[in-house]
Amino acid sequence: MQLLIEAIGFGIAAGAVLALGAVGFSVQFGMSNILNITYGSLMTLAAYIGLFAIDRGVNPWAALALAGIAVGIASVALHRWLLAPLARRGTRPFAIVIVTVSAGIVLQYVIVAVAGPDAQSYGEQSGQTFHLLGMIMSASQVTIIVLATVLMLGLHLLLTRTTLGRAMRATSSNRILAQSCGIDTDLISDVAWLISGALCGAAGVALAITTVSFDFSIGPIFLIPMIAAAVLGGIGQPYGAMVGGLVVGIATELAAAFSNPAYSEVVAFGILIVMLLVRPRGLFGAAWATRRLMA
Amino acid sequence: MGAWEFYAIVLLVYLGTDLLAAWGLNLEFGVAGIANLAFIVTIAAGAYAYAIFTIGPPAASGSFQEYVGGFNLPFPVAIAAGAVAGAAAGIVIGITGLKRLRQDYQAMAMLVVSLMAATIVSADTPFLNGNAGLVILSTFAPFSDQDPEFQRWAYVGIVLLACIGGYFVLRRFTTGPIGRTLRAMRDDELAAQAIGKDIVGLRLMVQGVGGAFGGLSGALLVAFISGWSPSAWAYVETLALLTAVIVGGMGNDRGVSFGMLLIGIVILQGVQFLNDVPVLKSIEEQLNRTALTQDLGWIVLGTLTIVFIWLRPQGIFPERRPKYGGKPS
Amino acid sequence: MTAATRPILEVQDLVKNYGGVHAVDGVSFTVERGTITGLIGPNGAGKSTALNVIGGFLSPGGGHVIFDGEEVTGQPMHRLARRGLVRTFQLARVFGGLTTMENLLAAAPSQRGESVLGILAGKAYWGEQERRLVQEARELLATFGMAGKEDEYARNLSGGQKRAVETMRALMMKPKLLLLDEPMAGLSPSLSRQLEHLFLDLTAGGLSMLLVEHGLDTIDRICGKVVVMAQGKVLSEGRMSELRTRREVQDAYVIG
Repeated sequence: MQLLIEAIGFGIAAGAVLALGAVGFSVQFGMSNILNITYGSLMTLAAYIGLFAIDRGVNPWAALALAGIAVGIASVALHRWLLAPLARRGTRPFAIVIVTVSAGIVLQYVIVAVAGPDAQSYGEQSGQTFHLLGMIMSASQVTIIVLATVLMLGLHLLLTRTTLGRAMRATSSNRILAQSCGIDTDLISDVAWLISGALCGAAGVALAITTVSFDFSIGPIFLIPMIAAAVLGGIGQPYGAMVGGLVVGIATELAAAFSNPAYSEVVAFGILIVMLLVRPRGLFGAAWATRRLMA
Repeated sequence: MGAWEFYAIVLLVYLGTDLLAAWGLNLEFGVAGIANLAFIVTIAAGAYAYAIFTIGPPAASGSFQEYVGGFNLPFPVAIAAGAVAGAAAGIVIGITGLKRLRQDYQAMAMLVVSLMAATIVSADTPFLNGNAGLVILSTFAPFSDQDPEFQRWAYVGIVLLACIGGYFVLRRFTTGPIGRTLRAMRDDELAAQAIGKDIVGLRLMVQGVGGAFGGLSGALLVAFISGWSPSAWAYVETLALLTAVIVGGMGNDRGVSFGMLLIGIVILQGVQFLNDVPVLKSIEEQLNRTALTQDLGWIVLGTLTIVFIWLRPQGIFPERRPKYGGKPS
Repeated sequence: MTAATRPILEVQDLVKNYGGVHAVDGVSFTVERGTITGLIGPNGAGKSTALNVIGGFLSPGGGHVIFDGEEVTGQPMHRLARRGLVRTFQLARVFGGLTTMENLLAAAPSQRGESVLGILAGKAYWGEQERRLVQEARELLATFGMAGKEDEYARNLSGGQKRAVETMRALMMKPKLLLLDEPMAGLSPSLSRQLEHLFLDLTAGGLSMLLVEHGLDTIDRICGKVVVMAQGKVLSEGRMSELRTRREVQDAYVIG
């Protein structure tokens, strides 16, 4: 029983990070209809930018903000100058995915070339622990959960209470209709990629904080569980991605606790495959997203 | 045997096995339009099948490796097993792609299949010796009673024969009525169904045949390099093949062959030579980074793919369809 | 009714729902052998949906489709196509990477070079059939005024030419029943007239057609029976000249 509670606790912490990443990924798909596999390497980039800052004495949370901004800018650049022009030309979705995979590989190996292949670490975490409902969590885990919650809440308020947010939702669901309402959809897309890119960066640094050590593959490794979370919740649907993140996080930790830990990765893969084959629209998928999924 | 002679032999064997793999992927993707990002799994299946068919049971070598199989069968049987294993893997992968999802989603599903397969094999030690992989301890199989120099050149001959035979079979599938039908399926799956084509049957057939090419490629390679582990089949390997297909010319067998020569040999092997360039060597030593040129190779590959999709997606040698002229009836 | 006089197509109480909307709501009609039957109605009447269900592109929610005496309800498109129930698409879908000639050849039924045996046996096995098919295709191209365009890549053809390829491809399949979704759209009046003559010739030879078309003059000229749909149901049936006078048909077109 204790094991179960502990696993759930870890699951929530892991799920918070997955939710952060999944929401960003989902927003990008919803806005531009692109499965952005470069997202993984961008998280790695964020982790290394964070490392660079922390090694120079910057506070970890400031480093997270810094990395978030940097990756946000990189994401807008990627979309505006590489992906969007390709999409405008009628390049097939699969070819665009290949471009994002290739861009991810280029970015990844540039990072390796510059920073080296050795494992890195953000250094000693404070030993402080919190006891909540029988779960023991470290200070950084709790902070990440709080941070993720704050960011999700902020996104929610943005989407529902602001003109920008409404414009973003309109553009996601029907771009042409949004244009005919006078919305500058190109600008809205840029903003969406900036925000989701910032979430990507935040997720990358959060990953580095919560793992003991990491190397250049940290982004791609966690990308698949994040995609699983996004698809589970309904791709293009940020709220679904939040729920999906928690579900995948908890499921993975439960699998690790109660069976061979080496198989815990397979849980995320399995969820993704099953969703794609059985119910691609996900649990909360909007109808407009489903239409885009089918051939 | 001089170092250069040995290196030439290694290059030829790599080229031959790479060609077989590229032809298989081109059949699946360039001709039939199946975005198989799990192709590397068919190569791995072939390699592992060869290994467990050709080495003896685990106990015989002191049980330092754990695996299923160990049938200790002769070379030709083990190679054939590799091709069959590749075909079987191809069909299983194909089944995951049957749902009418958009092509990039299908591709992602197949990518996840390949990652799952790698994870399961890495973790489960008694299956295929987990992360450590398998090593083939028996002496290098064909012509083992001859001297090593003859053996190695003879192996180049075997690979050459496999390529000639493979190309002959490949052309049967990429030309003529079936070549036309597969390309129709690629260009518009729905319209192809409307003219009576059984998409499911065609896809499974293509992934079986393509997988056989992959399996054969893996088996021939592992027999030469004598070892295979999960690190050899990371998903980036499929990217190298895909780049060769895209750059060489999708749907064009000869174009893809050129693409594989360019990518597999000139780039991926060529970067090893950069190690000897004094400037780069000193940079490497200063940064204590020995694999720098390899990283460079992948950066070049990724960039090439993006450039070609941006500028010339049809590749260096675009597909050319047969002409029927304006001959009067 | 003997087999020969039974209608080539019988649609009985066909139903198709789309997320709450009854797109096709209990539709029944028949198509007699060797005739051209028109399917008309205002926008949103459910004509294209009905065609999609009959052609196997969509699965029916209820009802029966009987083709050439056999129940084929719910069968997939490629099976129906092989039986002789062939459909064309409203937006012409050509195989862009293939030439015009190849687009036609691809549609030929029972090609020897498509079986595994045929693939491995090579040209010796399927070469003769290929030559005959090429000849057939040339004749079709000539009929449609596209001789000389054999080697043009289909993606480079004009809109009208692509429509023609779509229709020619359907004819290469030697169909028994053709489902045509707006075959005249985008064609010049002279080409439309030529196509009408061709359709009449083909039906004289035994082919049957079910035609969704907005051009009521075309319908008038070539259709024997016309079925009028509105709001998912069959409103009326008869010859075009009669239908024009019926009140409910006039109302449907006004109200829509």
